Amino acid sequence: MSNYIPTIGVEVHVELKTKTKIFSNSINGYGEMANSLTNVIDLAYPGTLPTLNEEVINLGIKAATILNCKIRKVMHFDRKNYFYPDISKNYQITQNATPIGYDGYVEITKENGEKKKIYIEEMHIEEDTCKSAHRGTKTLLDFNRAGVPLIEIVTKPCISSGEETKLYLEKLRELLSYGDISDCKIEEGSMRADVNVSIRKNESDPLGTKAEIKNIGSISNAKLGVEKEIERQTKLYENGETFLPQTRRFDDKLNDTVLMRVKETGNDYRYFPEPDIPFVVLTDEMIENARKTIPMLPDERRKKYLELGVSEINTKKLIQNRSLSDYFNTLLEEKTNHQVASNLLLGDISAYLNKNEKDITETTLTKERMLELIELLENNTLTSKNLKEIINEILESTETIKEIMKKNGIENITDDTEIRNIIQKIIKENPESVNDYKNGHDRAIKFLMGQVMKETKGKANPKMAMDILTEELK
Amino acid sequence: MKYLNKDIKEINKLLKSKKIKPIDLVEEAFENIEKNKDLNAYITLNKEEAIKQAKSLEDKEVDNLLFGLPIAVKDNIVTKDLRTTCASHILDNFIPIYNATVVEKIKAKNMIIIGKTNMDEFAMGSSSRTSYFGAPKNPWNPKKISGGSSGGSATTIAARDVLFALGSDTGGSIRQPASYTGIVGMKPTYGRISRFGLVAFASSLDQIGPMTKNVYENALLLNALVGKDEKDLTSVRREEEDFTRFIGKDIKGMKIAVPNYFMSDIVSSEIIDKVKEIIKLLEKKGATVDYVDVKYLENAVTLYQIIAMGEASSNLARFDGIRYGHSYENPKNIEDVYLKTRAEGFGEEVKRRIMVGSYLLSGENAKVYYNKALSIRDDMRKEFKNVFKKYDLMIGPTTTTTAYNLTDPMDDPRKSFMDDVLVIPVNMAGLPGLNLPIGFDKNNMPIGMQVIGDSFEEAKIYHLASFLEKELNLELNPFGGEEDE
Amino acid sequence: MEEKLTKEEVLHVADLARISLTEEEIEKYRVELKKLLNDVEKINDVKGYDDDILIACWEENTTLRKDEPGEMLNPKEVIGNAPRHSGNYIEVPVVISDGEGA
Repeated sequence: MSNYIPTIGVEVHVELKTKTKIFSNSINGYGEMANSLTNVIDLAYPGTLPTLNEEVINLGIKAATILNCKIRKVMHFDRKNYFYPDISKNYQITQNATPIGYDGYVEITKENGEKKKIYIEEMHIEEDTCKSAHRGTKTLLDFNRAGVPLIEIVTKPCISSGEETKLYLEKLRELLSYGDISDCKIEEGSMRADVNVSIRKNESDPLGTKAEIKNIGSISNAKLGVEKEIERQTKLYENGETFLPQTRRFDDKLNDTVLMRVKETGNDYRYFPEPDIPFVVLTDEMIENARKTIPMLPDERRKKYLELGVSEINTKKLIQNRSLSDYFNTLLEEKTNHQVASNLLLGDISAYLNKNEKDITETTLTKERMLELIELLENNTLTSKNLKEIINEILESTETIKEIMKKNGIENITDDTEIRNIIQKIIKENPESVNDYKNGHDRAIKFLMGQVMKETKGKANPKMAMDILTEELK
Repeated sequence: MKYLNKDIKEINKLLKSKKIKPIDLVEEAFENIEKNKDLNAYITLNKEEAIKQAKSLEDKEVDNLLFGLPIAVKDNIVTKDLRTTCASHILDNFIPIYNATVVEKIKAKNMIIIGKTNMDEFAMGSSSRTSYFGAPKNPWNPKKISGGSSGGSATTIAARDVLFALGSDTGGSIRQPASYTGIVGMKPTYGRISRFGLVAFASSLDQIGPMTKNVYENALLLNALVGKDEKDLTSVRREEEDFTRFIGKDIKGMKIAVPNYFMSDIVSSEIIDKVKEIIKLLEKKGATVDYVDVKYLENAVTLYQIIAMGEASSNLARFDGIRYGHSYENPKNIEDVYLKTRAEGFGEEVKRRIMVGSYLLSGENAKVYYNKALSIRDDMRKEFKNVFKKYDLMIGPTTTTTAYNLTDPMDDPRKSFMDDVLVIPVNMAGLPGLNLPIGFDKNNMPIGMQVIGDSFEEAKIYHLASFLEKELNLELNPFGGEEDE
Repeated sequence: MEEKLTKEEVLHVADLARISLTEEEIEKYRVELKKLLNDVEKINDVKGYDDDILIACWEENTTLRKDEPGEMLNPKEVIGNAPRHSGNYIEVPVVISDGEGA
């Protein structure tokens, strides 16, 4: 098969993390009883009018900032008219003419380390539709989702592979969830992606016929879908065939895209400016205030963590876990061993959190206690073996770590003289081993150390004991 | 004993002194309505509730001039638990589950809703003949139309059933029927009154307004209706004002403009002559009156057709037989629900307008028609604003003819727009406008004059209107007041 | 001869507006809609205006609403006015398509 150049554009919808809906003050919630989160506005009762949620505008400003978009300071909304049972007014309020953000980009890093900017054409604010469930000859409508705020982010057709599609979506998810814009849960539908794919022979050729892939349930499926679609289109062209612009969906079972419908000659959405919502004017102050609330983003975290000596792998893992990373951020300014801190968070603490289905903020691990814990581990007052025994208590009680150790009989002998006395006794009792050691049998020192630990019931600070033992054996 | 024909301050005194109770007024109103029921002013009466509410007011302090007074509400303003039909089959059994903001406001004044008035279906029409419930009749001559779309409200006021009514005005629907029936009707500045709960026809033009038999009562009701509503983003925050404050004041030095177009040959000579008499009177009383050119006035109907029908096609899309309202009985599929519910539910005028509106917004047409209309509309508003830099007010006829016969043909779809040629520009520019009765034609049908002000100048409009009302001192009761006891 | 739209033109706008028409109505609207469309055609004769548009006579910009929950309906109220419902859901004949819009 000869090579074709793919051209890919992605449209992503994310639901915004607000308390209420975009055009009404009913609750923006998920998983509640059907039709329990609505009011007359969501149901498009005659005479109702939209209001506009301040937080949606704030999140719009933040998202635009994060995606390096220019921000439009005077905007209005538009009506997109179409009859469908999931849109109660039979028009959707959206921004067609004046999207809040435009001309942005997101930078992805490819496997080979190469960086690429994925350009954002525009991002606009709009309302979500209601949820419909098909039951035999009926469709059931639940309006809880009707009017949930959305941001739609549209890239330029500048993506050139399934891999890049995946990297873009991952990056977008990382940015938007870190920006507290959306929780970006694809499985719950709070992040949804549609991908447009076409191929052509040469850069100089016009763009090929487009196929839109909808209903993509995961980021890896987006990659697979694009790859399968490129393959399908290539085969068709190779066989001298053509096809019509079409909408396809990704089928989980077939692991392939299947045809939904051939696109009609352009949908006639009859857009016109929404007369019920006057101009929305963003002041510099509003923009500045919204920007101030943007949390530290992954790239900055990455840079800081590495600077503090956290390993590459731990940095990556921390950033994958937003709440651990936020916790870790509280330690950034502290003089402590950050690598040990990251080990702790990703090791025993994560194990505990997973097992107990808890978030770190639900534990008793204050910053002060965490710093104490790191110090004890660092100077070997607490061994990692002993830590496992008391990790539950550390995360559930408010006592100092030392108190917990004491209660559990974990008390390292850190008194120099006491350890030295014991070591001198052991040396006296084991002349053969001492001889072996002096004759170059390194293994003998391990035996002697074992005896020390046995004598102290494991309470000797191992590092200190080893230092003294080596010294005494000279 | 009759009370509703008395001066409002007199009624208030009687209520305060407990000589009469709200229930007396409510009963009298229902007697009047019963007596005039052939006029078909109402779609739904609120008898049981009104009586209940009147009784509940008996122990309350009479704290304002509107207290305990019956009011009629146009049937496109939603009333909780009281059927609201928009005079359409598609809503003929619709019981709203919330109140319009204006309804809350009149309730806060302890006014009593007496019923829902007849109108053109979804306020689309100029004679109220597109009502699913049949047209209301003009109290001055029951063979004539009351105008529209607020025909029922105009009828019940003209017939002196009640003192107060609410109308809505998208392209003259308060002022034009007020003119045909000889009453006072005000369309306030766009944004003055919350539209929350007014079933939208054309959102950028719709405005609720008061309809009364005289200027003072009109201003009084407006006082109760205005104000920023957080539920309507297009409503406006203004300092509180008393719209009656200039009533009874002299008009010396007032500068008045008369657009030439309003006095052109599109208007019947009888009406022109009457307006000219008024102009003479004003000049005699110390006002200056100049004829002015206002560009784009002659294009207003075209702009209105495009904008109003375009917006209407979208606003009425929600009537689909799914969440409320009439629905086709045995749909085979979802398209059946839409197509047949709307075919059965809407009348001809509504269908015509939403089809044309859909067309005007479809594909490239949005650019060819709609955006162009919005551009010209902007220039037209600027033209008006320029006039108001030099003049206090603008006057002219409200209608081109007096009320015509109910049996006149309805087959020309342009007729209903042309009836409103003089009132539409005011909606286009978002300005306040009022109809004042200024006399009668040779058939004793009322002639109305429009008084137009700059944005938020309602008080100035009432100033001039009340002055003329007093000077003219017309007998405006179609029954001649001979029934006074 | 009277100016008319074609039958197809009428059916197209009727479809946009989701109104089914009888043959008789189609004939009627061929004439009536044409009259209205001829009327609005006059907009192309208007000259001398600038490009600024007026969407509505808004006297104020949008005042944003605080993100605080308000009163909601209970599901029984939601289905109360619905012609077809089952359980807490509003019901329609099965929709076989992917939805549009969002």
